[in-house]
Amino acid sequence: MALKVFSIPALPRVNSGAARLLPVSTTLLAALVSILPLRIPGYAALTPAFTLMAAYHWTIYRPDLLPPLSLFAIGLVEDLAVGAPVGVSALLLLLAYTAVLGYRRHFVDRTFPFVWAGFTLLAVTAMLGLWALHCLLDATLLDLRTTLFRIVLTIAIFPLASFLLGRAQRALIGSGS
Amino acid sequence: MIRLSPQLRAAIQRTTLPLLILASAAIVLVGKADRMLFDSLRTATTDSIAPALETVSGPVAAAGNLVDRVRGFIDTYEQNQRLVQENERLLKWQQTALDLASDNKKLRGLVRAVPENAISYVTARVIGSSGGAYVRTVMINAGSDEHVARGQAAITGEGLVGRLTEVGSRAARVLLITDLNSRIPVVIESSHTNAVLAGDNSERPHLIYLSARNAVKVGDRVVTSGEGGVFPPGLPVGVVSAIDASGPRVEPFVDLSQLGYVMIVDYGLSESLPQAIPVAAHNGRRGKPGAGDEAAVH
Repeated sequence: MALKVFSIPALPRVNSGAARLLPVSTTLLAALVSILPLRIPGYAALTPAFTLMAAYHWTIYRPDLLPPLSLFAIGLVEDLAVGAPVGVSALLLLLAYTAVLGYRRHFVDRTFPFVWAGFTLLAVTAMLGLWALHCLLDATLLDLRTTLFRIVLTIAIFPLASFLLGRAQRALIGSGS
Repeated sequence: MIRLSPQLRAAIQRTTLPLLILASAAIVLVGKADRMLFDSLRTATTDSIAPALETVSGPVAAAGNLVDRVRGFIDTYEQNQRLVQENERLLKWQQTALDLASDNKKLRGLVRAVPENAISYVTARVIGSSGGAYVRTVMINAGSDEHVARGQAAITGEGLVGRLTEVGSRAARVLLITDLNSRIPVVIESSHTNAVLAGDNSERPHLIYLSARNAVKVGDRVVTSGEGGVFPPGLPVGVVSAIDASGPRVEPFVDLSQLGYVMIVDYGLSESLPQAIPVAAHNGRRGKPGAGDEAAVH
């Protein structure tokens, strides 16, 4: 069982260095984008979970190019940069990776609405889990509304992120499945 | 690169993921137990990504400014009318302020008041914010190279923004007054009631440890008390906007989602801070008022 879940499928080989780095670099970029100060009222609290989108996309299409160690490192850097409790994002990204990898074959080669539905499921679970973890760490009941709005915004932005990531993927790697 | 046998490679691949998940969970727990542990790592990260953020946040701010400018053009006429009126009003205030300043000077001489510390400012640009629902901080492009130090107050023209919690050599992090971990000693201006302004990640922090609970009413101005000696007294913070179950809520004077530049106030007292400020027992240990109190309430 464990072997099946954690095994990374054999995908067409990618030789170009830039193409091999694409999944890791775009996920890192997503982490950077989420700390940009856009001067929109209330934006800071509702910033969509960009790294989760990138991690989801690449786990489905090119898990071989997104090693868990890179997700761990990106998560740590994100937490350190944001000022959040260290390790929380790393934990979230790795658990998301594990979950998506297990069901990956159901999503590859499917139409976009199907992929989007999968992300919706992941975003809701991951961000409610994150909320519960923060409640535990701070030992208070945090306002759930902000988290709910953030989930909605994250799901709404996903098509755009998916489009951009798909474009970059086709340009550099070719359609991978 | 070392060639590994396929079996060994598969074994490593299988165990990496569970091990990393365990490692992250362990880091979360260790970080929770010892809040200071990752401080130097945080400062190093902030410092190293500051140049990248500075480069990227420039155009983002410019785009925001462009929108403001277009909007400005559209309502130039109304704005002008409003400004003319405001200017008239402010000129009167200026006269009053000058009168009061000279009065104040004379009276201070009469009572031999101890002169206040000179205040100097460093202005810095906001280059990063905290994305996410659980932290309220901003990153600024000034650090120890600009003689900015931990514990100092960050303000704008309107009022208090927050307090510096991490200072690298060229970047620093400001814990906003709305953050769950922020505790600022304040005073209600009209009744001189002391209180602590506690953030809870909402847009309006609330007042706790009020020395006289019924001495607060909606519309009261809240300013820093200067207790603990880290912040200068009298920095405007906000107005009491509502009184609900968790206590009086304060609407900050500064729009914290629109921060472009902040000023860091050097009150010349930051050396009096103990080196390590616990970033917050969020349930607020209550200490004796005095020099050591700052560490306890923040």
